[in-house]
Amino acid sequence: MIEIKNVTKTYPGQKTPALSGLSLTIGSGEFFGLLGPNGAGKTTTIKLLATLLIPDEGEIIIDGEKLTRNSLPVKRKLSMVTQEYSLRGNMTPGEMMELHGRLYQLPKKVIKERSEELLAFCGLGEHRKKICRQLSGGMKRKLMLARGLLTAPEILILDEPTVGLDPFARRQMWDLLKQLNEKGMTILLTTHYIDEAQYLCRRIALIDRGKTDRIASPAELIQEIGATAVDEFDGSHTKSSFFTEKEAALHFAEGLKNEFVIRSTTLEDVFVTRIGRKLEGK
Amino acid sequence: MGVVTAIWEKWVEFKFEWKKITAAALVSPVLYMIALGWGLGSMTSVTDRPYIDFLVPGLIAMCTMNNSFSAVATALNVQRTFEHSFEQIIISPTPLTQYVLGQSIGGALRGIYSGLLVLLISLPFGIGIRVTPAFFLIMFLNGMAFGALGVLAAVLANTHSDVSRFSTFVITPMTFLCNTLFPLDKIPGVIQTVIRFLPLTHASGQLRSISYGNPASFFSIAVLAAYAALFIGLSVYFIKKRKNF
Repeated sequence: MIEIKNVTKTYPGQKTPALSGLSLTIGSGEFFGLLGPNGAGKTTTIKLLATLLIPDEGEIIIDGEKLTRNSLPVKRKLSMVTQEYSLRGNMTPGEMMELHGRLYQLPKKVIKERSEELLAFCGLGEHRKKICRQLSGGMKRKLMLARGLLTAPEILILDEPTVGLDPFARRQMWDLLKQLNEKGMTILLTTHYIDEAQYLCRRIALIDRGKTDRIASPAELIQEIGATAVDEFDGSHTKSSFFTEKEAALHFAEGLKNEFVIRSTTLEDVFVTRIGRKLEGK
Repeated sequence: MGVVTAIWEKWVEFKFEWKKITAAALVSPVLYMIALGWGLGSMTSVTDRPYIDFLVPGLIAMCTMNNSFSAVATALNVQRTFEHSFEQIIISPTPLTQYVLGQSIGGALRGIYSGLLVLLISLPFGIGIRVTPAFFLIMFLNGMAFGALGVLAAVLANTHSDVSRFSTFVITPMTFLCNTLFPLDKIPGVIQTVIRFLPLTHASGQLRSISYGNPASFFSIAVLAAYAALFIGLSVYFIKKRKNF
C-alpha cells in the first residue's frame, strides 16, 4: 500500500508550491491514475515516489515503511518508467537491461533470460545490438517499459508511458499493463491520454494546483456529472450539458435550436468540467 | 555488488569509445614531451638527471588525474543533466556508497590506462626510470582521489558548463603547479606550503621518487587514500542531501 500523507513540495526559486498538502492512498494491486492539467503536480508526485525529489513536508509510506533515499528494501519493490527517455545514448538495449538488472542485484542468468523475453515482447529483439541513440522514439519508450518490468516490481510507476507510441503499440502496452495488474502488480499511472486512464485505471485522482480535487473510479466520476452528454454547436462554440437520466437529455435536446449530438459522457468531460471550470475561474 | 556494477558500467563506456579515448589521452603528453622534453628539456637537467626523467613521472601523475576526473565527471554529469539516466541510479536499491566507490575505481582504472600510454610513448625519448608495483599503487590512488572528485563535481554542477568551470578552477592549476613540470622548491614559501597539501603533489612526487629507485612513502599513500575517502564521502553526502534530481 502506498500512503502519501500531506506532502508539500516547492521547487527552488518558485513561490508557488508544486504540491501543497497532497494526500493519497493507493491499495495493493490497484491500477491508479493521476490526472491533472499541466503543472498540476503529477510528475512531482511521481518523482517523490521515486525519491528523485525529497518532500519539504509530509511523508510517503510504502507497505508500512517510510520512503527515503536510503530505504533500499522499499526501493527494491518499485520500478519507474520516467517521462523523459532516461537511457544511455551509447549503450545497446541489451546493455541497458543488464545495467538495470545489476542495479537491482538480479542474478546474471535471470537478467539474460528476462531481457531476451522482454525485448522480444517489445519488438526490440532484432534491435538489441543498436545503441539507444539510434532507436526511434517509440522503441525507446518500449525499451523503458521493458527495463521497468525486468525486476518484476511489486509497484510500477508510469509517467506518461505511451507518449510517442503508435495506436497499435499503445493498445499492445495497455494489454500488457492490464495483464500485469491482474497478476497483482500495483500500477500508478500519469497520462495526458484520458481515454487511457479511463480504460486502465480502477481509481483516479484528479489533481489540480498540487492538491487532490477528487478521488473515485472513472464510472463514479462520470456518474457525478451525468452519464449522458448533449453537445450543442452554436456556430462558434460547442456547449456540453450533462444529465444523469437519458430521458432528461432527450427532453433537453428537443428544445435546442442548433445542431446537437447526444452521447455517453467520458472521463475527458469530467476532466474538462471539473478542472476546466477552475482554470476559467482563476 | 554496486561497486562491480559501476566498474562494469565504466567498462561498457570505455569499450564503446576506446579508440577516441586512447587518441585523446595521447595528445597532451606527446605535446608536453616534444615541447618540454625534447625542446626546453634538452637545455636543462634536474638533480643531475636528464629533465625527461623528471618530466615523465609528472606527466603520468597529471594524465592519471585528468583522465580519472574527466572519465567520471563528464560521463556522470551528462547522465544527470542531459540523458537523465542517473535517475535510475537514485531510484534503484543499489547503495550509493558502493556506486560512488565503483565509479571512483572505474575512473582510477581509466587513469592507469592513460598513465600506461604515457609510459609507452616515453620509451622513444630514452627515459631511464623504474616502474614497480608501488608505482601502480600511486597511480591507482591518485586516480581514485580524482575519480571521486569527478563524482563530486558531477553532483554539484547544475549544468554541463559547470563541470568545465570546475576543471578550469581546480584541475588546471594543479596540472601546472603540483610538482609535475618543475620542482616545488622553485615556488615561493606560502604558495609552496599550500601546494604541498594537494593530492597531485603527493602523486607526482611519489611517482618520481619510485621511478628514481626510492621506496614509496607511506605518508603520501595515506594522504592520497584520505583524499579519495574524503571525496567519496562528500559525494555520497551530497547525493543523499540533494533535494531535487
